[in-house]
Amino acid sequence: MNTLTPLITLLIFPAGLTLILVGMFYEWVDRKLVARFQNRIGPRWFQPFADAVKLFAKEQITPAIVNPYLFFGLPVAALAGALTSALYVPLMGLTPASNFPGDLIVTIYLLSLPTMCVGLAGWNNSGRFSLIGATRTLTQLFAYEAPFLLALLGPALVAGSWQINTINRFTQDHWLILTQPVGFIVALIGLMGKLELPPFDAPEAETEIVAGALTEYSGRGLAMFKIGKSVELIVGLCLVASFYLGGLNGVPSFLFKTLILLLGMTMLQSLLTRLRIDQTVGLWWRFGAILVLAQLLVIILVKGFLP
Amino acid sequence: MNIEQTLKDAEQFLAPWCKETFHPEVNRLDVAIQVDDLRAAVGALLAARWGYLSAVTGTDLGIEVGQLEALYHFCNGPAITSLRIHLPRESDACLPSIADIIPSASFFERELQEMLGFAFSGSKVSERLFLPDDWPEKVYPLRADFSIEQAAPVAGRRADELPEQGVVGGNTFVIPIGPQHPALKEPGHFEFTVDGEIVTAAKMRLGYAHRGIEKAAESRNWIQNLYLFERICGICSHTHAMAYSLGVEKLAQVEAPPRAQAIRELIAGLERVHSHLLWLGVAAHEAGFDTLFMYSWRDRETVMNLLEQITGNRVNYSANVLGGVKCDIGAEQAKAVKEGLTYLETRIRHYLEVVTTDAMFLNRTRGIGTISRDEAEKFGLLGPTARASGLSRDVRLEAPYGAYHHFPVSLVMETNGDLEARCVVRLKELLVSCFTMRTIVDNLPEGPLTTRMPRKIPAGETVSRIEAPRGELFYYIKSKGGENPARVHIRTPSLCNWVSVLEKAVGHQLADVPMLIAGMDPCFSCNDRVVTVNRPSTNETWSWKQLREYGIEFYKR
Repeated sequence: MNTLTPLITLLIFPAGLTLILVGMFYEWVDRKLVARFQNRIGPRWFQPFADAVKLFAKEQITPAIVNPYLFFGLPVAALAGALTSALYVPLMGLTPASNFPGDLIVTIYLLSLPTMCVGLAGWNNSGRFSLIGATRTLTQLFAYEAPFLLALLGPALVAGSWQINTINRFTQDHWLILTQPVGFIVALIGLMGKLELPPFDAPEAETEIVAGALTEYSGRGLAMFKIGKSVELIVGLCLVASFYLGGLNGVPSFLFKTLILLLGMTMLQSLLTRLRIDQTVGLWWRFGAILVLAQLLVIILVKGFLP
Repeated sequence: MNIEQTLKDAEQFLAPWCKETFHPEVNRLDVAIQVDDLRAAVGALLAARWGYLSAVTGTDLGIEVGQLEALYHFCNGPAITSLRIHLPRESDACLPSIADIIPSASFFERELQEMLGFAFSGSKVSERLFLPDDWPEKVYPLRADFSIEQAAPVAGRRADELPEQGVVGGNTFVIPIGPQHPALKEPGHFEFTVDGEIVTAAKMRLGYAHRGIEKAAESRNWIQNLYLFERICGICSHTHAMAYSLGVEKLAQVEAPPRAQAIRELIAGLERVHSHLLWLGVAAHEAGFDTLFMYSWRDRETVMNLLEQITGNRVNYSANVLGGVKCDIGAEQAKAVKEGLTYLETRIRHYLEVVTTDAMFLNRTRGIGTISRDEAEKFGLLGPTARASGLSRDVRLEAPYGAYHHFPVSLVMETNGDLEARCVVRLKELLVSCFTMRTIVDNLPEGPLTTRMPRKIPAGETVSRIEAPRGELFYYIKSKGGENPARVHIRTPSLCNWVSVLEKAVGHQLADVPMLIAGMDPCFSCNDRVVTVNRPSTNETWSWKQLREYGIEFYKR
């Protein structure tokens, strides 16, 4: 039994299969809500699942120019990174499958892995759209990564721990959105940047560079990148909700809080016009980073002088 | 300033080079000049700021005459001066290129070069713009002795076998946009050389869907052509049919009854609403603002339903007949139009507010692609794109045609010349159109809808200009007195506006390029009007008969 329980935890519930399915469900909610905001009907509930099945069944076309190991390995690495990061967050509001002091940093790095993989994949393809997309993906990574990290550090400082589980337990009595509204907004918008959702979709702006770094991907590879992104969405929502919205302590609170966040994100997605890449970088470094730094300073001062 | 005085001025300016002058119509001056004097004559008109080069018409006068004719049409308000040049058909004589003086002339010259075999000295461009790459050398589709057998594809020149230019060197590479690209759902091809994100050079290619309409027109009778021209464009189908009808009516010296003219203007107004709302959606989509795209296209349905209710069709309305219109506005339609307009006006006001106040959208439009008034004049811009730069070019006001005398529109102009100004001009123009349409519906003149047209149109030639949603639409119609036109030349507004896109893209970010292209509201079907049908798999040329048979077989299944 000792080996079976971790296996189930990893592969079926709450990580693994369940996570992927929930990710697809959230992707559907996202698409449906955006569609409704845009006065469209939107997809049916099983559409993301159908998309994945279809992509897995389709032929994968390998461009002649690519390094095949990278071409096939990168989607796997991206999905693996996203799935692994799920181990340390309070998924479904349950205790994380694994935790150790400092797992917050590990999670954030694992969350960046899919983006790095997309960047590498674009570079590996060396198609023109892919190259420009890859450049933009990585430029954007440098733009939002630091503010996002700083925005998650705020709660960690207050809770006095680098362990997600500990922070989650601490925030269950403290709604940090009230004391650190700036951090919350930056974290939420940073998550949108991470997921390349509008208005931060310059790396895959279809009207300029088709599908950006993933232009040459088809079939399984594309499906894995897409699923990786859905998983990233769940993990990211989970982190932001548990840090700022009073923690996660059960399935209902998980669903409620993350869906509220997702609603906010879809509203922003349908309200805002795509930013150019220079505007994205400018926004993050001129406003995002400075605001969060100011807030961190306040937290440190308050913690230092008012024990 | 009256027309006679304007034309007299032009005659004076051109006096040193003039060999002969005619007045084919009241508002037209026709000056025959020698080939070598062309640059000087054009220069004189430009120096005197007499109008702008509106179109260059090339005609093959036939094997017996043995001459090609080029007509350089300059428009100044309602007055038109044409410089007429004759060249021998079979010789090396060539026209001097004026593309360095008037940039937009480069497109006209390339059209003449490829379609009629004019040669241009001093023209820098050797690549093809309209004809397919595998089109044989020295075969010119608009010549009188052209036959489809001559156009057999040349081996080894297939477009898809041309070497792909990828990385040009260092950080520079070429980004192709089109003919298959999500930004352009239309068949045009652009190559933007980018250094990082900055565009350093731009090139374009048209003609992926040439249909040979100008040539086809010569073998159809006057009435058939009406339906042919209506199919040039799916968005401004009515303006094409209207320009053609007005031209033919002028030739036949028949005037459509006032009620018909008013209904024509009404439908043109509705079409403008349709076109501009569609454009707004596309522009928003290019900027990555899909919500505006979806909403504006939803509201466009209102106007399409109105058009359907009036004419029975949603796209090719087919409202015109030679000598009048086919559909009447009854009490029911009038009510529907007014209700529709009320709804549309509130929506358009809302969009006007969005495009001028939404900070994120302004990020992508304000100060982007700014064209100053002088540049607009130099590029020869037309329509809303010109009016956004403070250049008051609107045929409806300068040379009112049809019912625009009785139901005038007011001029909408902005001076900033950037993408925001182009949005604002188009939307404000719609409010003006809505107002005029309401007036028309309320004051529709009584009377018949059509008047009698002769089957044969008297010999002569005429120019018919109309303000299409994208700018001035130019029809040159020539009759030899038969049942078919001898030559119809169509210059669509998109063709004139391209230069500005290519020039302005340089120095901008790649992310702005789709917006720049969309900013002038390009219409590819307007540009593509020439000759062959290529089936990509086998790349063979079909005759009309084969195509028809294929079509019939295709729909049997």
